[in-house]
Amino acid sequence: MGSRALLLVKGVSSSSLPKNQLFCNFNCKSHFPRPNNNWVRTNCSTTQSSGPSLEPPDLPRLAQTARISLTPHEVEEFAPKIGLVIDWFGQLQDVDLQSVEPSIRADTEGDSFRADIPETFENREAMIAAVPNYEEPYIKVPKVLNKE
Amino acid sequence: MASTIFRSLHSHPFLFHPTALIRRKYVILYCTMRSAQTQTATQEKVKPQVKVSPHSTQSKALEKASKDYEAVIGIETHVQLNTLTKAFCSCPYNYGSPPNTSVCPICMGLPGALPVLNLKVIESAVKVGLALNCKLSLNSKFDRKQYFYPDLPKGYQISQFDVPIATSGYIDLDLPLEFGGGHRKFGITRVHMEEDAGKLLHSEGGSYSQETAEVDLNRAGVPLLEIVSEPDMRNGIEAAEYAAELQRLVRYLGVSNGNMQEGSLRCDVNISVRPIGQLQFGTKVEIKNLNSFSSVSRAIDYEISRQVLLHSQGQDKEIVQETRLWEEGAQKTVTMRKKEGLADYRYFPEPDLPGVFLTTDYVDGIRNSLPELPETKRRRYEKMGLSMQDVLFLANDMNVAEFFDTTITKGADVKLATNWIMGDIAAYMKNEKLTINEIKLTPQELAELIASIKDGTISGKIGKEILFELLAKGGTVKGLIEAKDLVQIVDPAEIEKWVEKVLSENPKQLEQYRGGKTKLQGYFAGQVMKLSKGKANPGLLNKILLEKLNAKS
Repeated sequence: MGSRALLLVKGVSSSSLPKNQLFCNFNCKSHFPRPNNNWVRTNCSTTQSSGPSLEPPDLPRLAQTARISLTPHEVEEFAPKIGLVIDWFGQLQDVDLQSVEPSIRADTEGDSFRADIPETFENREAMIAAVPNYEEPYIKVPKVLNKE
Repeated sequence: MASTIFRSLHSHPFLFHPTALIRRKYVILYCTMRSAQTQTATQEKVKPQVKVSPHSTQSKALEKASKDYEAVIGIETHVQLNTLTKAFCSCPYNYGSPPNTSVCPICMGLPGALPVLNLKVIESAVKVGLALNCKLSLNSKFDRKQYFYPDLPKGYQISQFDVPIATSGYIDLDLPLEFGGGHRKFGITRVHMEEDAGKLLHSEGGSYSQETAEVDLNRAGVPLLEIVSEPDMRNGIEAAEYAAELQRLVRYLGVSNGNMQEGSLRCDVNISVRPIGQLQFGTKVEIKNLNSFSSVSRAIDYEISRQVLLHSQGQDKEIVQETRLWEEGAQKTVTMRKKEGLADYRYFPEPDLPGVFLTTDYVDGIRNSLPELPETKRRRYEKMGLSMQDVLFLANDMNVAEFFDTTITKGADVKLATNWIMGDIAAYMKNEKLTINEIKLTPQELAELIASIKDGTISGKIGKEILFELLAKGGTVKGLIEAKDLVQIVDPAEIEKWVEKVLSENPKQLEQYRGGKTKLQGYFAGQVMKLSKGKANPGLLNKILLEKLNAKS
């Protein structure tokens, strides 16, 4: 999560998105794991304005949702670091966004769709070669019984 | 068929109970009939019936109990769109391609790959949304639904969460007469766009395969529409008919082949049972692995019986929120997984894709280009004076309906055209395993044939002969009549000659006839018709024959 958030920060600063986008994305991901039904209005534009108010995440749970195993020692080590990132995002809560239209991504110019015309990817061999466990013609994976 | 029923009865002699089985029997028959139209091989292997075991007292208790409960059924349907390429990349998708051949960095979820939406997916979604009488969201978006499973290489599925492209619609359908008929309107909660996952194959046997599963990513990223119904259905038939109507709809719209065997139309059913009069729903159970209409219907009726039985025995606590699988072989549902709390999919807006904005012009353009939909067609056929059975038959398959419509525009009589199509033509298609587009007969020639019989150029009998020639080899009615010299003889003098010839050649029968055995008229008529090579006008023939038979008596 921490590294993900940092990536996000980098991405945003380099492509100069509106500030609220950053806020919205992070907010949705870390603070509201359960999706909000009125994503446009409530999630992004109602600011919980009173200061750095984001709660630190429950790290073991966070790790579990990302299927990452952390030792108790690692939890101890990462918790303050992630806490710092969260705090940093918390400061953004103070920005007054009442008058700003919510935005969830960079505006793209022009057509960003594709016509329904098939094209075969040329370098399939290289992709297949990179699969850790491949046995013609299948990708082998550990047996999984339960989806959830 | 019977063996299927028997098997399920046999495997649960104490649990299940004949009422639903009897009901189910019709379902099987019905679905078999219908599947002949739409698809093949839904029916079970038919084995000779052994004997039906006597019903336990439990079955009577259940029959009684089932009157006190009602089932509430909602269906989630995944429709695979028949676009040439996947939803977010240009990989071609063809069912049955060798595994892992139609893949690219996007659908394999490689880092840095950027999805680009196929416009055809939006077009298909709008078509289906409009056809389901939905409210369209002019401004929707894609979201990421996170879950970890090997058939989903990215670790998330691109779907639509809180703003689906279409909401709040409904679908109309007519139940077949064999189930009591009747019109139904079922609510549609939402329609949204998403991508399919790959296929995970659990290989059987071998010690090694215990540890691993196999993945084919050809299907990963193929566009789907998920159509969610309101919990408006009350039994297996209604649910199966709902699914059948959706299939019809997507086929009419040309957005999917709707083939259940190939998984192009997949139904997940949610069922709960509650005492009649109770407002709150019972505990919901989901059933998966339904790959034919008859399995939808039978699985639901089985599940209703299971739940009613538990309710009636005061064991309703045994009904837990879970996913059950329909086992076609055993004809029962079995626990697949229990649901422990809601899965946390951690949805968030897909940052790699732009929002989906529709203009009213775009939507109107699609609305104006929609074909006549099954419901509209049925109501039109009904107004033409056709019986519901005819209406359902003709409108079931878009191509049959089109054949019929064209035949009518060529001037054919409505009822006669219906009879030909539903009778000899349907029988021929069934025998030869052909679709209506594959037969050599054209609507133009069918209209011609009907007209030729109606105006007396040929007899009905000859008409039938010509029909089979046209079905198998094509050609024109006029051409065949001329080539085979089949024009009906309406000249009384000519017919009279044949009648006299037959009477003189059959003195014995004539004597018997005049002795009171008047049934022999049919024999004589047959002989005359034979002599005329089937060309004599039957009305005229009988009139003249009677005159002659009775003349000298």
